Amino acid sequence: MAKTIAGSEKSIAHPNGNERQHAVREERPEGHIPDFKAIEESAGFRELMRKKKAFLIPTTVLFLGLYLLFNVIISYTNLLDASFIGDISWVWVFAFGLFAMTWILVTVYMKRAAKFDEMARETLVEFNYDKEENR
Amino acid sequence: MNATVIIIFLVIVAMTLVITYFAAKRTNTTSDFYTAGGGLTGWQNGMAIAGDYLSAASFLGIAGSIALFGFDGFLFSIGYLVAYLVVLFVVAEPLRNLGKFTLADMINARFNAKKVRGAAALSSITIVIFYMIAQLVGAGALIQLLFGIDYLWAVLLVGIMMTIYVLFGGMTATSWVQIIKAVLLMVGTVILSFLVLQRFDFSILEMFAQVKTATPHGEAFLNPGVKYKIPLDTISLMLALVLGTAGLPHILMRFFTVRDAKTARSSVMWATWIVGIFYVMTIFLGFGAAAFVGSETIISTNPAGNMAAPLLAQALGGDILMSFISAVAFATILAVVAGLVLSGASAFAHDIYGQIIKKGKATERQQMLAARYASVGVAVLSITLAIFAQSLNVAFLVSLAFCIAASANLPVIVYTIFWKKFNTTGAVSAIFTGLISALILVSISPSVMNPEAGAAIITGNPIFPLTNPAIVSIPLGFIGGLIGTLLSKESDAKKYAEVKVRANTGGFRQL
Repeated sequence: MAKTIAGSEKSIAHPNGNERQHAVREERPEGHIPDFKAIEESAGFRELMRKKKAFLIPTTVLFLGLYLLFNVIISYTNLLDASFIGDISWVWVFAFGLFAMTWILVTVYMKRAAKFDEMARETLVEFNYDKEENR
Repeated sequence: MNATVIIIFLVIVAMTLVITYFAAKRTNTTSDFYTAGGGLTGWQNGMAIAGDYLSAASFLGIAGSIALFGFDGFLFSIGYLVAYLVVLFVVAEPLRNLGKFTLADMINARFNAKKVRGAAALSSITIVIFYMIAQLVGAGALIQLLFGIDYLWAVLLVGIMMTIYVLFGGMTATSWVQIIKAVLLMVGTVILSFLVLQRFDFSILEMFAQVKTATPHGEAFLNPGVKYKIPLDTISLMLALVLGTAGLPHILMRFFTVRDAKTARSSVMWATWIVGIFYVMTIFLGFGAAAFVGSETIISTNPAGNMAAPLLAQALGGDILMSFISAVAFATILAVVAGLVLSGASAFAHDIYGQIIKKGKATERQQMLAARYASVGVAVLSITLAIFAQSLNVAFLVSLAFCIAASANLPVIVYTIFWKKFNTTGAVSAIFTGLISALILVSISPSVMNPEAGAAIITGNPIFPLTNPAIVSIPLGFIGGLIGTLLSKESDAKKYAEVKVRANTGGFRQL
């Protein structure tokens, strides 16, 4: 793994390593271009991408699948017209289920994304790009 | 028009003008103008997204549709809400991390090619104009009904107000108008829902039991199939709604008003709660109107059912509540069209003038002037089109706008973020295939061609059977991008590494 950034091999994925990296940051020349390939291939970033995919792909398939399933069922069949309680049929239950699904997935994602943020920050720290001027 | 309605109406107009006055003082740079300086918090932007999204068609249209068609009237709301998962999972964070003012900025973070930017700007402008005509024509007709003002004056009134907000107050004024509108809309709907539920002794079961016998549809009212009878057409429309939101320029633009991806994410969370709770309450409004106003009265006032909510307010709370709900509807219209003007102006002034014509070398002063001229230009163009379109049936333009957004914008967004081999040829062909196929298919569809004279723009038998072409044009957009990419050998893995790192870490924003 090629690391062209001065001093980057010294730094580790540790959120409290800020003090030590301060001096290193100043060494970067004007017009410096970060080595994105190196960051992309780093273990930390690849782990972040793997975790993101592991969450986003199944959940996207799930919510789009349920949404399409609902539309196909109500368009082609009368399956959901049966009574759930009193005059409320299953179609309302499924519809509200899709609302609840949206709120639940948003809430779950908010929790997950906080972890993704932490991993992303660690990658930036590792390569010394976590400072405000690099953001 | 009675005195209460005039007073409430003037209070809202005055309030928005005061906001615009203070916003104008803080609007000095293009960043202020397009993004309110990027300093909105999650809840502020979430409310503004809801304010931008919930149009009069959502408020009056869906409530009326539920009152007349029962479950089928509610169907759209499901698509409109689930769509936010696509926004959250796919678009919001990369957009914030890669873009500056427009969708084209984000795509160009990868390609830096004029033709890609031009194509993206063109599809954004098309969507904005269609959406705007539908909003303004609807607004003109509604204000005519609500306040008894002539169509022409109603369109001009809305047009002038939106121009003032955007021209002087930019995104700051627009955002606050949207936030206030969201609050007013929620307050109005909560009051109406409470009054409706009170009449049913706060029993949902009782409510369902009563509306079952209250409408001419009987039991069918509570199940799908009253309004949408062609299965494939319904599915196509629902696809456009769920995938289109993530490509609507005026919604995407809102994500540039927050400082980072984390805030972009929390604004989506706020928006889904507000939008979702609002849609649940439209059921109470619709059922209430069906039970306490009656479909005969609703249809005789306006055949599309748009007056159901104001009539319900009249029936449950008298003139004062009706005036308040009418004023809320007016604020609703203003907030949406202001957002549209701003996103249209950004595509013209930032993408086409600033980046393509001036190659990104325009001075700050030139850019500000261009932004203001473009705002006035977009406003004048859409007001003119709306005046000519008065007698045309243009309600389908909203779902067409969703369809174009899903067919032309979503494929290119997805490929830009996730596909390593994607290239400039692919980007241009994805946008044009989606845009052109949606436009052609809709122009030969039953929305535009109807054998019954006057029912649609052209009299004649439709060539394409579906009212909304999404089920065909969305796959075409994706296939167009795929074929375009494979036809060209060009590919830049290094640039993709950069985009991937920036989109997923939020770092390197200054690049």
